Amino acid sequence: MTEPALAPRPTLPQLFWGMLQVALSSFGGGLSAWSQRIVVEQRRWMTNEQFLTGLTVARLFPGPNQINMAVYIGADFHGLAGALVALAGMLLLPFTLLMALGLAYFQFHTLPAVDRVLAGVVAAAAGMALSMGFKILDQYWNDRVALLLAALVFVALTWWHVRLIPAVLVAGPLAMAWYWPHRSSRP
Amino acid sequence: MSGLFASAAVCEPARLSDLGTLLQVLWEFLSLSLFSLGGGNTLLAEYHHLAVSQFCWLSNAQFADLYALAEAAPGPSSMLVGLLGLGASWREGPFWSLLTAYGAEAAILLPSTLVMVLACLSWKRLEHSPWRVAFERGLGPITLGILFAVGLKILRTADTNTPGVLVSLVVCGLMLRTRISPLWFMAVAGVLGGLGVINR
Repeated sequence: MTEPALAPRPTLPQLFWGMLQVALSSFGGGLSAWSQRIVVEQRRWMTNEQFLTGLTVARLFPGPNQINMAVYIGADFHGLAGALVALAGMLLLPFTLLMALGLAYFQFHTLPAVDRVLAGVVAAAAGMALSMGFKILDQYWNDRVALLLAALVFVALTWWHVRLIPAVLVAGPLAMAWYWPHRSSRP
Repeated sequence: MSGLFASAAVCEPARLSDLGTLLQVLWEFLSLSLFSLGGGNTLLAEYHHLAVSQFCWLSNAQFADLYALAEAAPGPSSMLVGLLGLGASWREGPFWSLLTAYGAEAAILLPSTLVMVLACLSWKRLEHSPWRVAFERGLGPITLGILFAVGLKILRTADTNTPGVLVSLVVCGLMLRTRISPLWFMAVAGVLGGLGVINR
């Protein structure tokens, strides 16, 4: 594959504006697609391969995926400083907007009309929350141990009222031991 | 369904102007940060526990409203934490509220960001390590279990009437079967709420 040459490594301000552009473009969703378009195709900071590696790392480690992706891009160029600048570019504007919305909410949510509309919106949002588990259920359908683990975690959280952190600390090592790769893949 | 929470309704809202409480809250968010598996939505039930049951900043209905707001607004839905911060010190005025909001969001993002930076710097070594493989495969099923628990928790928190629950189920089905933007579902459901079909 012949890719156009990469642009020189972005400076911190360029990183900030690039991430801000990603955040602004993705109003209405599709954040990771936009970030690929801008970072790989328009600004040519990374090859597609580098970007996809980043996405793998971002999904693997704790934290929201899109935010981790910004951290990956920033850290790749300027370490911790780059990560923080990229994060600020990605978050500052949407977050400020959301806080304005939040202030309006706390000011007006007691109005009956506002509350009625919100009751409807909440029902739709609850449906979205409900779909999250089903969305990834397919990939575990043929793995009985995975389903058993998932069921145990579900029961512990829902009926036994175990908190998330202890649940993960107990179930995590057990699951990791079970899924430990048999053949050593160490180089 | 609301009977489940009735006993928790008497708790006193924790005030963040008390230094001890503030540090405790910061600690809760900082430590949760490292447990945000599968993109962060796994933390929703914990947020509910902190904001509604433990610190009593919000009612169930308010929590559900803020969750919907964060989902509808552009940007990552983890910004819900900022809204919780806003609610936590709403009684102390808007300035203090905003400060808490930015602080809460920074607390939930900082630890996972630091881990992510370390991961980027050492990915070449991590990539083929058995630890990485076991972590990735093992935590998948756990994430699955958590997401189902979270979905049920949010449904209970929304606590709408029967038409509302039906709308939730239909939206869940449509989210899985179609690629329609969820904004449409929220808009239509909002209208149904305005007309009084859905209430709580």
